[in-house]
Amino acid sequence: MGIIEERRAAAVLLAAGLLVTTAACGGGSDKKSDDGTGTPAAKDKGKTVELSFWDWDPNMDKVVAKWNAAHPGIHVKLSNPAGGDQLVAKMITAHEAKNGPDIAKVEYQSLPALVSKGVVRDITEYTKDTVGKFDQPTLKSTVFEGKVYGIPQDVAPLMLFYRADLFKKYGLAVPTTWEQYAAEAKTLRSKAPKSYLTNFDAADPGWFTGLAQQAGADWWTTSGTTWKVDIAGAATAKVANYWQGLVDDGTIAKNPSFSPQWNKQMNDGTLLTWISGAWAPAQIGGIAPATKGKWAVAPLPAWTAGDATTGIWGGSATTVTSDSEHPAEAAEFASWLNTDDAAVTEQVKQINVYPAATAGRSLPVLQAAPAFFPNQPDFYAQVKKVAPSARSFQMWGPNVTVTFTGYTDNFGKALQNGSSFTGALSAMQNATVADMKKLGFTVG
Amino acid sequence: MTAAPARAPQLDPAGGAPKPRRKVALLPTTALVLGALYCVVPTLWILIAATKSRTKLFSTATYVPSLDLGIWHNIKDLTDYQDGIFWRWMLNSFFYAAVGGLLASFVSAATGYALAKYAFRGRTALFNTILAGVLLPQIVLAVPQYLLLSKVGMTDSLIGVLLPQLFNPYGIYLCRIYAASAVPDSLLEAGRIDGAGEARLFFSVGLRLMGPGLVTVFLLQFIAIWNNFLLPYVMLTSDDKFPLTVGLYSLLRHGADEASLYSLVVTGTLLSVVPVIALFLSLQRFWRIDLVTGALK
Amino acid sequence: MARRRTAARGTGGFPYLLVLPAVLLFAAFVVAPGVYALLLSFQRRKVNGGLLGGGTHTVWAGLANYRDVLGDSDLWSGVGRMLVLGAITVPGTVFFALLFAVLLDMERTRLKRVTRLTIFLPYAVPGVIASLMWGFLYLPATSPIGGDRVDFFGSTAVFFSVANVAVWGAVGFNMIVIYTALRALPAELYESARLDGATEWQIVLRIKVPLVMPAVVMCCLFTVLAALQVFNEPNTLKPLSNAVTSTWVPLMKIYDDAFGNSDIHTAAATSVVLTVAALAVSFVTARVIQSRVQQEAK
Repeated sequence: MGIIEERRAAAVLLAAGLLVTTAACGGGSDKKSDDGTGTPAAKDKGKTVELSFWDWDPNMDKVVAKWNAAHPGIHVKLSNPAGGDQLVAKMITAHEAKNGPDIAKVEYQSLPALVSKGVVRDITEYTKDTVGKFDQPTLKSTVFEGKVYGIPQDVAPLMLFYRADLFKKYGLAVPTTWEQYAAEAKTLRSKAPKSYLTNFDAADPGWFTGLAQQAGADWWTTSGTTWKVDIAGAATAKVANYWQGLVDDGTIAKNPSFSPQWNKQMNDGTLLTWISGAWAPAQIGGIAPATKGKWAVAPLPAWTAGDATTGIWGGSATTVTSDSEHPAEAAEFASWLNTDDAAVTEQVKQINVYPAATAGRSLPVLQAAPAFFPNQPDFYAQVKKVAPSARSFQMWGPNVTVTFTGYTDNFGKALQNGSSFTGALSAMQNATVADMKKLGFTVG
Repeated sequence: MTAAPARAPQLDPAGGAPKPRRKVALLPTTALVLGALYCVVPTLWILIAATKSRTKLFSTATYVPSLDLGIWHNIKDLTDYQDGIFWRWMLNSFFYAAVGGLLASFVSAATGYALAKYAFRGRTALFNTILAGVLLPQIVLAVPQYLLLSKVGMTDSLIGVLLPQLFNPYGIYLCRIYAASAVPDSLLEAGRIDGAGEARLFFSVGLRLMGPGLVTVFLLQFIAIWNNFLLPYVMLTSDDKFPLTVGLYSLLRHGADEASLYSLVVTGTLLSVVPVIALFLSLQRFWRIDLVTGALK
Repeated sequence: MARRRTAARGTGGFPYLLVLPAVLLFAAFVVAPGVYALLLSFQRRKVNGGLLGGGTHTVWAGLANYRDVLGDSDLWSGVGRMLVLGAITVPGTVFFALLFAVLLDMERTRLKRVTRLTIFLPYAVPGVIASLMWGFLYLPATSPIGGDRVDFFGSTAVFFSVANVAVWGAVGFNMIVIYTALRALPAELYESARLDGATEWQIVLRIKVPLVMPAVVMCCLFTVLAALQVFNEPNTLKPLSNAVTSTWVPLMKIYDDAFGNSDIHTAAATSVVLTVAALAVSFVTARVIQSRVQQEAK
């Protein structure tokens, strides 16, 4: 039997099977129906537009409730199917089946991939006013080739979070250069043999990418329609070699972050610093609730004293998918979510985002310290100070998942076997280029 | 499991042994207790961890339970989390496992009965094909299943999770064995002579005699669906339709902007094991695992 | 065989009606997706062009995906690790299942009810959750079982750590399978042996174990099938250590391709390769079992 015939036979069988079973079960549920949460009356009038919104932020439901209360004509239904890069995979699969949501939260590094797969829609025509509310460096992450693909939600410059109490106890100085950071790390080991200044995390590539950005790396650059990939170049190699030195002589720990082990280390003072994004206060609150008020923030150490350049870890945009039947309304919600003062204030309060919108950064709510950092009332002032010198890559590549998986696998192996970090970078470079070529991109 | 199928306890030849009976076999008992300990250690850890509040989970000694009623706070936190969505997951899991288990048992019973009691064209081929189904890892089928179901608009629905789990090759295999041994041909023949229709014979003779075996098939399928992670994970996008496995996993794997809620996960894990244990304790006397090996005797 | 029976006469289409639901479900949820996966494995996704790709289309790739998959060293090292894991889980599970079943069957053993239930319970714990619990036990910072002294995620230890979770979940079920077979043996069998002065352990080794061999073989089949599909345990333990990579075992590679890289075509090709291999392994296993059973019958 030929494949075509078999497919046809299978399709007929599938259809028949589904008919029988659907009838038996009393009918399937409708795609994008309100399944009981919406108001049937409003639907009958045919006036309420129903938008589905995928987002993994805790407490986002409270922000969405504000929208729904103020906009009776456009009802947004929030859903949390998965977080971060797993949501990206879900969006791609759903798009394949033309099942995507109307609106979705996407991390900056995943946006080019979603654009290239046609998952995310060009919303330039609906956002002419909105884009004026962001500065150019921020927009760079969501505007490609002059087209707007998302409204920035938050930005997260890389900073140094440290245990102020333990720094004092062990007589450590807050390092301003990486050289000093390494020296303090060694001092700490001699004073408190069970503690480490930090851990080299091979599980989440975000922080390492941010450090590469700080060092001046550009993993992806474009000219015309050609991509250039430079993951193993001199700037990144400098970062890799620096950390390899610290790992090899046991100056820092090498277990992955975001694990129960790490939570415990963050709680009990085994780890004294965390190189992280501006969203860290909310995170540490969840990771190490016993350490409230003991952390402080400082600018990221520099390669040359006085250089304020830092990198970025995370940050997301609100996007509209190409499956959406109501792109105008969806774009309206995305704009409201990220530029409306009340909406942004609510997000700062509920989700601890550092706003991407220019006006959002001067909101009164940012005058107060984050709940977990009562000892640092100037927290957001500090973030505001470093934000302008945060540098990202010229552009994120169209297959960052491959690069990031390569990071996790190869740096994990390097830590496990004691092999070289620069070898891991080469493996990442090769995997990324091979995948881009396979997808049909022009790689120079 | 109180009733041993073939050898009742009183038939044990205790009196007939040549040597006088010693009290307790120390070594075997000790070995069994060690085995039981091995099996219960992770659950004990979870039990202890669930007594600890969020702040204490990672800051106190791991094997010392917290006595300040942390467990009630944890259950309360879990109940408060997203308006009690955890209990919704629990309910969903029960729905998927119970309804799926029942329907799958019926499908298996009908198929197994037909395979055992009727000779029809294609019977052997059908049986072998069904058995080969055991070999396809679910991961292989999950995405194509999703893509096909989406063509008929059934993804992200209860039915989309339920339907693919109704076909259970192993259940069919067991039912065939059970029908062959528990339903005598003579009884069916007698029924036919009395003029009973085939359908009536199946429902009133076949299903009834297969009853005890079907409980086992149901329990196995119940557990299989209760434990299933991948299919609902692929199929569902609305968190209010998640079963426990996917729900707890999502608690564990939040995006980079939220810390994993370990204390909630730990408490949820504990609570999710309890109903299955209860179900087993209450149904254990119907549990006839001898079915599993029946074919080889 | 069909001619020997008479039952089929006069039954009309009833047997077909009985198997219809299963056939429909099988067609809809095994055959159709299976054929669809086969189709996908011959295709490839390409971007339309321009810097950002501008959407994608599928193209026929012929055997290119298979060439890539078969030439992928990650897959083969994954297969190697799967075999190492299987070499621990299969004998481990079957040995302990047999041991516990035999101990339960000894008349002078005590605490049977409670130990039997306790050893069985892990079967009712979802693999994802079991791995999570063991993960807590392995990690140095949270380990109550000496994880601060032993590195459970060392390059060799990690195989035992992963296998342990699988064995933990499977021993109870297999123990019950063998135990039930033991209980089904008539007690008279042991009488003469006892009269000849055989010890309890001699009875176990010379009478009981050979007689429950079919059940033991069945357990081997279950555990071999499970070993071929090992996924939940390493995948859940992955974020806890540097030892487990995203392509650590073949199903993790499929998962990573399908859900991480959203490359369903490579995932499909890998799936087809593995399914064919699994069919071959099971065919051989089934043959071995058959000959074993026939031997036993003689």
